[in-house]
Amino acid sequence: MASIEIEKLEKSYGHVSVLHGIDLDIRDGEFIVLVGPSGCGKSTLLRMIAGLEDVSKGEIRIAGNRVNDLHPKDRDIAMVFQSYALYPHMSVAGNMSYSLRLRKTAKEKIGAAVAGAASKLGLEPLLERRPKALSGGQRQRVAMGRAIVRQPKAFLFDEPLSNLDARLREQMRAEIKKMHADLKATSIYVTHDQIEAMTLADRIVAMHGGVVQQVGSPLELYDRPANLFVAGFIGSPGMNFLDAAYLGGAAILKDGSRIAVNSPAAVQEGSGLTLGIRPEHIVITTDGSGMRAGVELVEPTGFGIILHLSMHGLPVKVFTLDRQALALGGEVTVSFPAEHVHLFDDEGKRIG
Amino acid sequence: MTMTADTLGRRHDRRPWLTRLAHASEPYLYSAPSLILIVVVMLVPLVIGISYAFRDIQLLNPFSGGFIGIEHFRTLSEDPAFYGALRNTLWWTGASVLLQFVFGLVLALLLDKPFWGRGLVQALVFLPWAVPSFLAGLNWAWLFNPVIGPIPHWLSGLGLMAQPGNILSDPQYAMWGPIVANVWWGIPFFAITLLAALQAIPRDLYEAASIDGASWSQRFFSITLPFLAPTIAITVLLRTVWISNFADLIVVMTGGGPADRTQIVASYIFTQAFKALDFGYASAIALVLLVLLLVYSMLIILLRQTLLNKD
Repeated sequence: MASIEIEKLEKSYGHVSVLHGIDLDIRDGEFIVLVGPSGCGKSTLLRMIAGLEDVSKGEIRIAGNRVNDLHPKDRDIAMVFQSYALYPHMSVAGNMSYSLRLRKTAKEKIGAAVAGAASKLGLEPLLERRPKALSGGQRQRVAMGRAIVRQPKAFLFDEPLSNLDARLREQMRAEIKKMHADLKATSIYVTHDQIEAMTLADRIVAMHGGVVQQVGSPLELYDRPANLFVAGFIGSPGMNFLDAAYLGGAAILKDGSRIAVNSPAAVQEGSGLTLGIRPEHIVITTDGSGMRAGVELVEPTGFGIILHLSMHGLPVKVFTLDRQALALGGEVTVSFPAEHVHLFDDEGKRIG
Repeated sequence: MTMTADTLGRRHDRRPWLTRLAHASEPYLYSAPSLILIVVVMLVPLVIGISYAFRDIQLLNPFSGGFIGIEHFRTLSEDPAFYGALRNTLWWTGASVLLQFVFGLVLALLLDKPFWGRGLVQALVFLPWAVPSFLAGLNWAWLFNPVIGPIPHWLSGLGLMAQPGNILSDPQYAMWGPIVANVWWGIPFFAITLLAALQAIPRDLYEAASIDGASWSQRFFSITLPFLAPTIAITVLLRTVWISNFADLIVVMTGGGPADRTQIVASYIFTQAFKALDFGYASAIALVLLVLLLVYSMLIILLRQTLLNKD
């Protein structure tokens, strides 16, 4: 177990720069999730921590020691790959014990470590099998087993659940969370799936275009997104964004409707801003108050309904748990509760 | 069900015999062109060749041609030149295959690493394979010739040779001449096939292994070699059969000399058939070589099966 510090880290391939100065302090035992769309640099950052990519500039420290120039094998970290990367010529037990055998660990110790990991992951009956005789979920478990037998300083996960079906992903997600609660090992987890990020993380690092957009607890990112990118990335269905102008303590939409907002501190009268509100926070009013909107599309999810509305041509999504009979082409009235309205300035930064 | 069976049966009976014949012979007619070709150019010569082994066939002797039973094989079993050729064949095949394989593997590993201009280098490396074998043999014979070739002078300059001489005429080292030429000529085959196999190995296995703590050589032995093993088995088997039959370089470079020191079984067959014009005896030797190679292939296939079953 160890802390990991990342300071002004940069990565470029030739003239193409993919990471622009990343700063991150990861505490001992913390579960950090790097999340962002593909190409945002999250996997590159993880691979640099692992030592699979060279550092162009900046510094990585594991347990206080600079590791920039250390080989992956000398960093004492374990990694779970998206493809699992199991050695096809070795049995499950062989896969899990490989790193210990390389370190010339005593046979009894290896046996105990493999047995311990296997019982934790329910792999005991499979120990003698080859990876090709396993299902996707079992392979995933073996990959995790291979990581935990070593008791490394940190675990790195590179989209470990992406190749599993939805049901299995849910199950493994819970198991990873349980495992972390059990081992309390420093973990860095890369995913593009915001549900995985929200459910697993102690802190989420949201990345975009090689820059860290926001670091914080899952609820912090959900409740107070630092900018338009984080606001749009976290949450499903995604947040609604409406262009507006600030006038007299309210946001005026393009169609002229007024939306009351909690007065932000530093906003000039008449300045343009973006108003954001999550679909689940929009209220469908029954007393006729609020703004009128036409129903364009109804998507029932079973759990609730996603409504695609059109407010004078502005598209707005609403998520409601009410199973109302809403007809296509019908009309509803909606209101935006002020406490749930987010405001962003013209550069996309959060106001207030 | 019974209805259909009935109608089908009756219709079958009613068809005119010509139609029935046509239908019955259809598959044979389709495969006839290739079958006839195979029979005419492969099976017939094979049978005739085998029959030669039991007959006295000498081109210059008009009274030859009679059946002599196993007389040729009796002679063969007491022919010291044949045993010498057999030993030389082992030596020639073993050294050539081993060196071609080792250098081919090294070359494939080097070409697997990305570097500037790799495409061009890859294309150039495979050039020897495109050189006709007799041209390669002539060139190497000249290279080894101290009058026109540089190699003897380099060897004596390095102190490996007392004075620049032609190793092709040195009974002690003559075999190395064709072996070197063969290695140069055959490396691309191994490099090409092993490179293809190398590039099929998933990269993240190497990454996982290096994180697990494996050094370069440990990664090579626990990932690269197991992945290459099937390809290595097949290519080595193929090349062994191929090279033990491959007399071109020897015939061109040394003609089997000096004093039969480079005579392999294949070149001995060539000498017997086309120099001594004794086709009967040559066929007998060829038959023995055929049986030896068949036995070798069977052993390899058995080995492969047991290895596969063990998995």
